[in-house]
Amino acid sequence: MRSCELAHLSHWKSLPHMISPDQCHRGPVQFSLPVSDPSRGPHFTGCRSREQETFRCWWSAGIFQNLTEPGALRVFYQTKNALLSEWQECPDYTHTVKNECYFNKTFTHIWTSYCIQLRSVRENITYDETCFTVENIVHPDPPIGLNWTLLNVSRSGLHFDILVRWAPPPSADVQMGWMSLVYQVQYRVRNASHWEMLDLESGTQQSIYGLHTDKEYEVRVRCKMSAFDNFGEFSDSILVHVAQIPSKESTFPTMLVLIFGVIGLVILLVLLIFSQQQRLMVIFLPPIPAPKIKGIDPELLKNGKLDQLNSLLSSQDMYKPDFYHEDPWVEFIQLDLDDPPEKNESSDTQHRLGLSRSGSSHVLNFKSDDDSGRASCYDPEIPNPEDLASLLPGHSGRGDNHPLVSRSISSIPDLGVQQTSEVEETPIQTQPAVPSWVNMDFYAQVSDFTPAGGVVLSPGQLNSSPEKKKEEENEKKIQFQLVSDGAYTSENTARQLSTEVPPSPGPEQGYQTFPTQAVEGNLWNGEYLVSTSDSQIPYLLPEAPPAPILPPVSDYTVVQEVDAQHSLLLNPPSLQPAICPHSPNKHLPAMPTMPMGYLTPDLLGNLTP
Amino acid sequence: MNKLKVLQAWLWCESLWPCWLSHAVPLDCKDETGSLTQCASISQEKLLDRVIQHAELIYRVSEESCTLFEDMFVPYPLHALRSQGGNLCHTKPFPIPGSKNEIQQISDKWLLHSVLMLVQSWMEPLIYLQTTLNRYDDAPDALLNKTKWVSDKLLSLEQGVVVLIRKMLDEGILTSSSIFEHTLTPYNEQSPEVLESVLRDYNLLICFKKDAHKMETFLKLLKCRQSNKLSCLSY
Repeated sequence: MRSCELAHLSHWKSLPHMISPDQCHRGPVQFSLPVSDPSRGPHFTGCRSREQETFRCWWSAGIFQNLTEPGALRVFYQTKNALLSEWQECPDYTHTVKNECYFNKTFTHIWTSYCIQLRSVRENITYDETCFTVENIVHPDPPIGLNWTLLNVSRSGLHFDILVRWAPPPSADVQMGWMSLVYQVQYRVRNASHWEMLDLESGTQQSIYGLHTDKEYEVRVRCKMSAFDNFGEFSDSILVHVAQIPSKESTFPTMLVLIFGVIGLVILLVLLIFSQQQRLMVIFLPPIPAPKIKGIDPELLKNGKLDQLNSLLSSQDMYKPDFYHEDPWVEFIQLDLDDPPEKNESSDTQHRLGLSRSGSSHVLNFKSDDDSGRASCYDPEIPNPEDLASLLPGHSGRGDNHPLVSRSISSIPDLGVQQTSEVEETPIQTQPAVPSWVNMDFYAQVSDFTPAGGVVLSPGQLNSSPEKKKEEENEKKIQFQLVSDGAYTSENTARQLSTEVPPSPGPEQGYQTFPTQAVEGNLWNGEYLVSTSDSQIPYLLPEAPPAPILPPVSDYTVVQEVDAQHSLLLNPPSLQPAICPHSPNKHLPAMPTMPMGYLTPDLLGNLTP
Repeated sequence: MNKLKVLQAWLWCESLWPCWLSHAVPLDCKDETGSLTQCASISQEKLLDRVIQHAELIYRVSEESCTLFEDMFVPYPLHALRSQGGNLCHTKPFPIPGSKNEIQQISDKWLLHSVLMLVQSWMEPLIYLQTTLNRYDDAPDALLNKTKWVSDKLLSLEQGVVVLIRKMLDEGILTSSSIFEHTLTPYNEQSPEVLESVLRDYNLLICFKKDAHKMETFLKLLKCRQSNKLSCLSY
């Protein structure tokens, strides 16, 4: 919206200080730039002042070619001060330049606005009009005397700084202060497209930093009046060039130092590694720890120290709970001495005996268990042959009516494990702290299988200490083989012991059968020894005739008591016969009143001598 | 006796009458504590340099204020008003020549007096401008600060010019600004239109910039004459 258009605003007339409506500026905003527009009619192309003391104006006829002859168009001007003066014609039409009006110093007034008109006098038409102030159309001349000096060169020799100087244009009266100029320096790499511009400088010198050596630069400068926007023309460019100084000598020592430093560092590292080899090996390759599995030291097995091995095996926790867990019936069997009649009535499978501990140094505790449902064949624990021997009435040291014993079974599982590995009759000497009844053989010959899966055992050979052997060889030879877990007492042997001097017993063959379910699977290897020959059968009486047919053997014999002489007192078996049809070779001892599996208290009287 | 005393007092007061004239300029020097002390002396050249520096700064700041106001409030098509120069600024008591020749022929006395007159004529309009600018909602702080700064600097410029006048021209002068008539009525008008007030303020800023240029030019010419009279003469 031009200022002349403001006249159409309703409130225009209320502004007394604004320009009058007839002042219409139709030219471009940058009026001082002479730009000709051929599509238009006659118009001013621009006005310009160089030093703020004179100015010139140019115009063009435009499309009106008939007005190109000189004099057809005329310029009139008017100075707009407080008093509106009259229109005056251009004081000087330049003769050398076409369509130019020159205003000299006399007619040039700053701080006043001019309005010029382009008229065709013949037709009395005003083709163009424009207003301006002289300060706004000043374009200073370019500075002169541009030169440069080298300030310094960088250490690397790649960059340098220069100081550029110039002089103000001679036409501008800077000294009087008529014009205050500011300058702008520009530079670029030679023949590049982009000029670097620096900030405006009010002085006449400027430094340029960071130029590259071996590159040619162009530098130029221009100026303008401070507080105004019209730059003058550029000065002529000057060339700046600084050759690069080859400085290879300076880089050589640094390279040498670097190489030596690296070599020294490598040597140091190698020395360090070799001196601390062991520690580094530990750090980087730690030794694999030995397995910490609880087990048997193979050294023990090699040396054959069976005592230590026994102690180790006995102290192993892994065996005990298994036995205790799976074979509860062999853990503790309590023999009750106080009320034997009551127990006499119960079945042998449910019979339990409690034992009073009076007078008995050894108490065998058998855990009460309901073994109903198990196989009938069951071997009780084997008592100490010495104890058994002491139970005999002919024994010298045994005369007491020892109460029934209950026997602890702490060592039995251990022995049972030992014995599974050995099928043969080998006694195992235990620790002295262990009751002596433990020293008896825990092996029994398996004579036959029961249909229920039980094992029919026969008492094995006695293989205890030589002293006792002599005694028992004379009186009895009892050898028991424990094939399965837990020691057991041969029922046959118990019968033999209980009888005073049974005349009849021939080759007594006691056997016990084991219920399979009471046996650990791993221990029951399924191999059994069947004792068939009479020679293997111990004889209670050295010259006993062939054993008579014994009554059916009960399921198991419960050890009731261990007397002071460490002899095992067994409960006579119940009257109910055990179902053991698969033992053709068994010879049952004659024990008509012996109940199956248990030694009843009434039979105890028969037992005790 | 009483009459004699009254007469003496009246004569004493009469004798001090010239002092009243020159005393109108309160140029008492005060140190940090605030007590009156002997003013520090300064050479005429240094004083003139400082006055010129003041004038240059005022001119530069006036131009920046004009640009700020123009960018913020004036519609772009009206920016041409600035270069057209058709502004009618408030009238001066005496015309100031515009051509270089005429200016070069102005005497030092008139140069200084012109500067002083210009400075004094702009004191009240600048105060008015400050209040007007505060009315705009989003006037930038830079513009307000600049206007405030210019008002302050104008006061010190006036003081410096007065001292210069006293030193160079050996004459005392009253610094009261009531000598000059100010056409304040247009400034006191309340215009409800935003565009009107904008244009009015814009005109005011342009005129102030022009007058600041005048001050600077006159002072520089004066300096040139002081240092080297030959080069400053018109040719």
